[in-house]
Amino acid sequence: MIRYRNIHKSFDIPVLEGVDLEVETGEMFALFGPSGTGKSVLLKTTLALVIPDRGDVEIDGLSVYYGGPKTLEQVRRKIGFVFQHAALFDSLNVFDNVAMGLPEAELARMPRRDVARRVWDALETVNLEPREILAKIPSELSGGMKKRVGIARAVVGRPEILLWDEPTTGLDPINSAAVERLIKRLSTELEVTSLLVTHDVEGGLSMCDRVAMLYAGSLRFCGTPDEFRNSPDHVVQAFVDRAAAEAALDMALV
Amino acid sequence: MAVPIFSPVVGWFARLGRAYRLTLEHSGALGLLVWHTIVATVRLRVRFRDVVTQMHIMGIQSLPIVFVTASLAGIVTSQQGGYQLISASPRYVLGTLVVQSIVLELGPLLTAIVLVGRIGARITAELGTMVVSEQIDAFESLGRDPVAILAAPRIIAGIITMPLLVAFADVVGIWAGMLMANFDAEIGPETFLYGARLFWHSWDLFYGLSKAVVFGFVIPVISVHMGFRTRGGAEGVGLQTTQAVMFMILTILILDAMFPPLMLQ
Ligand SMILES: Nc1ncnc2c1ncn2[C@@H]1O[C@H](COP(=O)(O)OP(=O)(O)OP(=O)(O)O)[C@@H](O)[C@H]1O
Ligand SMILES: [Mg+2]
Repeated sequence: MIRYRNIHKSFDIPVLEGVDLEVETGEMFALFGPSGTGKSVLLKTTLALVIPDRGDVEIDGLSVYYGGPKTLEQVRRKIGFVFQHAALFDSLNVFDNVAMGLPEAELARMPRRDVARRVWDALETVNLEPREILAKIPSELSGGMKKRVGIARAVVGRPEILLWDEPTTGLDPINSAAVERLIKRLSTELEVTSLLVTHDVEGGLSMCDRVAMLYAGSLRFCGTPDEFRNSPDHVVQAFVDRAAAEAALDMALV
Repeated sequence: MAVPIFSPVVGWFARLGRAYRLTLEHSGALGLLVWHTIVATVRLRVRFRDVVTQMHIMGIQSLPIVFVTASLAGIVTSQQGGYQLISASPRYVLGTLVVQSIVLELGPLLTAIVLVGRIGARITAELGTMVVSEQIDAFESLGRDPVAILAAPRIIAGIITMPLLVAFADVVGIWAGMLMANFDAEIGPETFLYGARLFWHSWDLFYGLSKAVVFGFVIPVISVHMGFRTRGGAEGVGLQTTQAVMFMILTILILDAMFPPLMLQ
């Protein structure tokens, strides 16, 4: 379970002003919100990649900010993070990039063959042909391929929780459907908790158990997809309508 | 809204306050970086291979440019010294002058300035790019320590490599100066070296190499620190790199000026 408690964070201006959110174990949860509202910042506070000014995050009862370095290490091992722009290591090839997803200690004592097997499997789950790309470096990959290697790196360590920062943005419809299937499969088969930030509102609503909307520094809405669609809140309504219009436009363009 | 009539004064104080805060912020972050590096090193979390790679980049790959810089420094010192000293002093004094200038001042300082451009700028740009493309976040999310992986190898390599490079620069500079003296002022190697030995203290070499160690520490520390603080895309990386170069050059010049009162009494 992920529990955000009263998260505050400002950079030059306040971004998060008291966010409270709970995501249950095994749940698929989508977080929506206009661009620049701090969705990525909130996700990053989960792993102390961004340190909030106030508040705490609890992962299965472990306090990220009051538990000390050992707890943080433990938390980071539990969680896989899919970055918005893949964030692959430029100087490493695809194999080493994905292998970095295995915990350091495990990687050190695992036989090379087992590492290779894990990397291979991870790449196959994201629809990449391992043979073709293992030796490539990130600058030789397309944006969509990078994104999928980033997902492979996040899942190879078999995390209990996955944080997805716009996993389908920038992917073609086939691959974005494949990623959606992967998220679903991980959460149903392996009980992985998924917290998903996405601009694909329709996709998020159809796939997730619950959704929330971040707006002007705090959660404007939190509930089931049906409640979201029928929310009387005009801000939520406007957001749903615009998302529907954008989706229609996308359909027309494809 | 500030009261308009006071605004220049208020603005001045605001700027002062901001500069003060920024200085504190930088010092704090630099101190933390150094502390983390020491901790990572003591706990043996720094990979030897990474240090060797960095030493290769900083050391071996810098040899050509250091060679050129040092020989020019030797040649110029020798020529100017020959010009100024002609007929006024014993001829062997030129040897003293060249060797002392190179070992005490020019060797360490010029090598450091060259390394700021060649290594410092590179480190800031490299790490800055990793910050803005979230690679540093990715390291941390995977339980890796960016200081142990990225900062420490560069800082350790700098401390080890710089004195070696400066020793190389000293040898090259003195050799070039001696050739020039022979060629230009017709002072032979024996006379030149006699002058060099006459006023030689081993302390001078220690002094020059101490500078090298300090500069070899300062360059990677500042460039790593500035790299980690990069914000805002490709433009941010460019801006940060320029600022890092200014920061490093100023620090080196200031430290260089602090050496004589501290160590040459
Ligand atoms: N490291 C940082 N330094 C300064 N400001 C930052 C930093 N990270 C984020 N911000 C600011 O915080 C705000 C929220 O950013 P964030 O990336 O979380 O938005 P987002 O909701 O993920 O948007 P998008 O949907 O476009 O990805 C933005 O205004 C951004 O400029
Ligand atoms: Mg974002």
